[in-house]
Amino acid sequence: MAGDNILKLNPLTKITFAICLSISVFFADYPYALGCFIVLCFIAGFYRILKDYLIMLLKTLFIIIIFMFILQALFYPGHEIVWQWKFISIKQEGLMYALSLSSKILVIGGSILLFFKTTHVKDLVSSLEQVGLSPAFAYVILSTLQIIPQMEKRSRQIMDAQRSRGVETEGNLLSRAKAFIPSLGPLILSSIVGTEERAITLEARAFSAPVKKVRAHVVKETPTDKWLRILFISLLILFMIWRVVLWII
Amino acid sequence: MDYLIEIQQVTYQYPTGEKPVLQDVSFQIKKGEFCAIIGPNGSGKTTLCNAIRGFIPHFYKGELHGDVRINGKSIKDQTVGELSLQVGFVFQNPFSQISGVSETVFEEIRFGLENLGIDTVVAEKRVDEVMKLTKITHLQDRNPFELSGGQLQRVALASIIVMEPDILVIDEPTSQLDPEGTEEVFEIIRLMKEKQKTIILVEHKMELIAEYADHIILIDDGKVILNGNNEEILTNEKVLEHNTLLPQYAMLGLELRKHGVNLDRIPVTEKQAKEELTKWFAQEGQIYV
Ligand SMILES: Nc1ncnc2c1ncn2[C@@H]1O[C@H](COP(=O)(O)OP(=O)(O)OP(=O)(O)O)[C@@H](O)[C@H]1O
Ligand SMILES: [Mg+2]
Repeated sequence: MAGDNILKLNPLTKITFAICLSISVFFADYPYALGCFIVLCFIAGFYRILKDYLIMLLKTLFIIIIFMFILQALFYPGHEIVWQWKFISIKQEGLMYALSLSSKILVIGGSILLFFKTTHVKDLVSSLEQVGLSPAFAYVILSTLQIIPQMEKRSRQIMDAQRSRGVETEGNLLSRAKAFIPSLGPLILSSIVGTEERAITLEARAFSAPVKKVRAHVVKETPTDKWLRILFISLLILFMIWRVVLWII
Repeated sequence: MDYLIEIQQVTYQYPTGEKPVLQDVSFQIKKGEFCAIIGPNGSGKTTLCNAIRGFIPHFYKGELHGDVRINGKSIKDQTVGELSLQVGFVFQNPFSQISGVSETVFEEIRFGLENLGIDTVVAEKRVDEVMKLTKITHLQDRNPFELSGGQLQRVALASIIVMEPDILVIDEPTSQLDPEGTEEVFEIIRLMKEKQKTIILVEHKMELIAEYADHIILIDDGKVILNGNNEEILTNEKVLEHNTLLPQYAMLGLELRKHGVNLDRIPVTEKQAKEELTKWFAQEGQIYV
């Protein structure tokens, strides 16, 4: 995973950063949020994944943001008309609102994506388990993660089976949907039957044995992690106080 | 004589079932014994295993009468967690045995040891040993989801024996294995017996049962039909009436006897068959030659 040899931080530290940053954008205007986004890009650059990261943002957030800009610009109530064509008009207020909203989305979405791009989910779950997440819950997350690629494979197999029986699985959206929906049946069924057996499977492997589990996969927690978390949270609190005081006076 | 496992008048019906799947089942198993359970499809063998492992009544609800005792203690009074320290269970379907959280076979086998709280260094050593024993070391970095049925069956067996329970309940461990793999699995089970483990094995391959088992129980339609030692059961023609085979050597012996060949005893293994036939040839074989 990206940055494995660059900076090994505990996932909890990274997620604290992402959450603090996301909260902070609600206490300032869009220039601040855009500044935060640039910071995120710098971090991505530091982890040597800037290109991947930006492509991913383009594919996910960009579409949402464009869509929102159009909606807000056209329909947000306002008087200062920037551009008009027949009955369609773009208003200054709408643009500002869209800018403020989308910059926040950019930071929130961007920090979550950056978090997952630099962290194994397995590490995240392990670190959560180390601070008290129940092993059963951890198991559910991990097994789901393992099973998703299997489900994809199965759904491809089912689609292939459908196709070989002459069901149209390509072409336009409608014909693909028509092919896909019947394939859900066996897929869901086989997954549910799976979960029923799961509990017994786990018991066969002594999952609820009355002893303390040992995990071979442990995520390190260094003093740096602790100090960084304290730093992020204190910075957030100071920032919030500062903004609120400014706002009151 | 103290028994390790006591099944006392067990009658059990699945919540969705119409009639009891186990009916008044009683038998005992001694410590260190290798007990084979035989019987036709749907006769209740897997259900019986579930009851011994405590999955009935702890997971499968439904009506359970009678009692299963392990080391003198009723399974009803123990949690599945406590039972997991004593009884290992290898499922009939190896696919339902994979934990789903492991990326490799190695991790998969280690999973049970993590749950038992075994120190990581010790655990890794045990995993290595058991992989050697079950001949799956070359698979250790593969994803368990991408193994063949036979490979998975070995992984399933390995991931239970690595936990070293005193009792092993093994439900048709060789159904997807080739003859060589089957022999190897029986060899592993024999090693377990040497380690004083008590083994309950469901299996259809009678020649191998004849070779290895001490005690045999035939069940049909949820009832214990025959219960006795190896030769007693495997030479009993009644077994054939229950859609269950006898070892081919016993069949041969019974057939010969019908044709007036006076064998001292009905052989059940290849070795016994050779002995008996040699003896018989020596006595009166020349008449026929
Ligand atoms: N979960 C269940 N719910 C309801 N009925 C079940 C369930 N599992 C098994 N049965 C029924 O119980 C009976 C005995 O099944 P069981 O699986 O114990 O047979 P078996 O001897 O192991 O057969 P096989 O040789 O095919 O493995 C069958 O009639 C089966 O349909
Ligand atoms: Mg069965």
